[in-house]
Amino acid sequence: MAAEAAGPHRDCAVGLFSIAPHLEEMIVIGSVNEQWERLTRTQLWRSLFRQGWPDTPRNRTLAVMGNVFLHLHPVRLPRAALRVTYTFCLGGISFLLFLSLTVTGVLLMFYYIPSVTRAYNDIRDLETVVSFGYFLRNMHRWAAHGMVITVFLHMMRVFYTGAYKPPREFNWVVGVLLLTLTFLLSFTGYLLPWDQLSFWAVTVGTNMAGYAPLIGPEIRFLLLGGFEVGQNALLRFYTLHVIGLPLLVAVFLAVHFWRVRKDGGISISGPL
Amino acid sequence: MQTQQTGITQRRPAAVVREQGATKVERQPQNTVLVWPNLLAIEFLAAALITLGLIILSWVIGAPLEEHANPDITPNPSKAPWYFLNLQELLLHMHPSLAGVIVPGVAILMLMAVPYVDHVVGDTGRWFASENGPRIAGISAVYATVWLVALIIFDEYVGTRRVLESIGIPEVIISIVVPVAVMIGLSWLLVILIRPMQPNAREILIALFTGFVAVYVVLTIIGTAFRGPGMHLFWPWAMPPRH
Ligand code: HEM
Repeated sequence: MAAEAAGPHRDCAVGLFSIAPHLEEMIVIGSVNEQWERLTRTQLWRSLFRQGWPDTPRNRTLAVMGNVFLHLHPVRLPRAALRVTYTFCLGGISFLLFLSLTVTGVLLMFYYIPSVTRAYNDIRDLETVVSFGYFLRNMHRWAAHGMVITVFLHMMRVFYTGAYKPPREFNWVVGVLLLTLTFLLSFTGYLLPWDQLSFWAVTVGTNMAGYAPLIGPEIRFLLLGGFEVGQNALLRFYTLHVIGLPLLVAVFLAVHFWRVRKDGGISISGPL
Repeated sequence: MQTQQTGITQRRPAAVVREQGATKVERQPQNTVLVWPNLLAIEFLAAALITLGLIILSWVIGAPLEEHANPDITPNPSKAPWYFLNLQELLLHMHPSLAGVIVPGVAILMLMAVPYVDHVVGDTGRWFASENGPRIAGISAVYATVWLVALIIFDEYVGTRRVLESIGIPEVIISIVVPVAVMIGLSWLLVILIRPMQPNAREILIALFTGFVAVYVVLTIIGTAFRGPGMHLFWPWAMPPRH
């Protein structure tokens, strides 16, 4: 009665105090462990995770085997294959940058129209109007430069460790294709801001392709969709950049990673 | 009845077993560890560091954006993206078909051929192959850099073309034969130079590959930082503005 008279605030407080004993009960009687057990027994949890917390060899094995992404890896690997001064993580870092480029690239596509009258202003807006737009663009740009560098360095590491030797010959060839595709991805993206820098860089670059013996002019025409860098070239570069080349890279990456496994995991330098 | 059935099923191929397994393992892995957590922890740490680095970089340094594209105003110099500036630099010294298409095409094919030239297993996984390896790589890097810088300076201030044209040498020789001879000749000379170390196939490849990387990197640096208006050489700190 007194609580009622004291208004809603008092009501609330009284309400809280009245569950408090139950809370205490829950804490005392149902230990954290028990709550955890209860959670992991729910249908929802079990539909997501098929093994227990990965703190036993068995659960760790199941965690790697049962997850589509982790399954890129074997369950166990030689201790020597962990040595960072062997791979310098360069293949993995190249892959990470490729993934970052995919995410930031998709977000950039929300704001960009590949039209000679719109493109430049869209990039301008990213820099000045769109929240975090400049950040998004910078991340895409620097990750792209970074990927060219890390893929090249990865090739150097594979070369100097002799990791291209049988049975890995074919994976080296796949790698060279990936390097070429990485250059092409970066180059097609270069045109998209449609500023003086991109326009003339692509003019210079496609002129070089035009010097191919016999079919140079035809190659150049095919690339540009015309005789000079214009709307058709922008559309072609855009399409190649956002879908054509990324799909090709994804396919070759699948082959590359599959091959690493089929060649017996990464090469290692003797017993450790 | 039952034996008959078994007889039939036995003749049906249940699985194709290859003489060589699809998975090729050179040696039985000794001393193995679980991927979770050993490898995954390293991968997570590397991914976190690179992501952090990328975020900081994108926070501090802005990507360039110049004026709207204008086909009527050609900037001087007009440069390709940095990773193609090595080819653009070659363009200054040889026939455009060579510089723009043939040299990079041959380079890609030669890279692909590497595992088929050196296919001797046994030293897989050993950095620089042998004790001689690092020395060969070092010699090759210095050799390639010195020759390259010397040739570029010679071509800029004396001019192969000017010299050869003045004595009536035909264009094909100037723009195709001479550059090809220089590229093949200097690679060959490098192999001769390391011969006293009795290199095997892998060590010869180390010499050539290191030369290739050195040329690629030095050409890129010169194209990026040392070429100004008219694609002439300038010191980076005395670079005239682009116009
Ligand atoms: C998009 C580019 C690429 C990605 C994302 C990539 C990724 C990877 C990864 C994650 C590995 C596992 C070991 C490691 O990280 O070193 C690997 C191994 C390998 N990569 Fe790549 N790679 C790329 C390009 C290349 C290139 C350009 C080459 C060579 C020309 C190459 C040749 C190889 C070979 C031969 C192996 C096996 C190495 C060993 O067994 O030690 N890859 N790659």
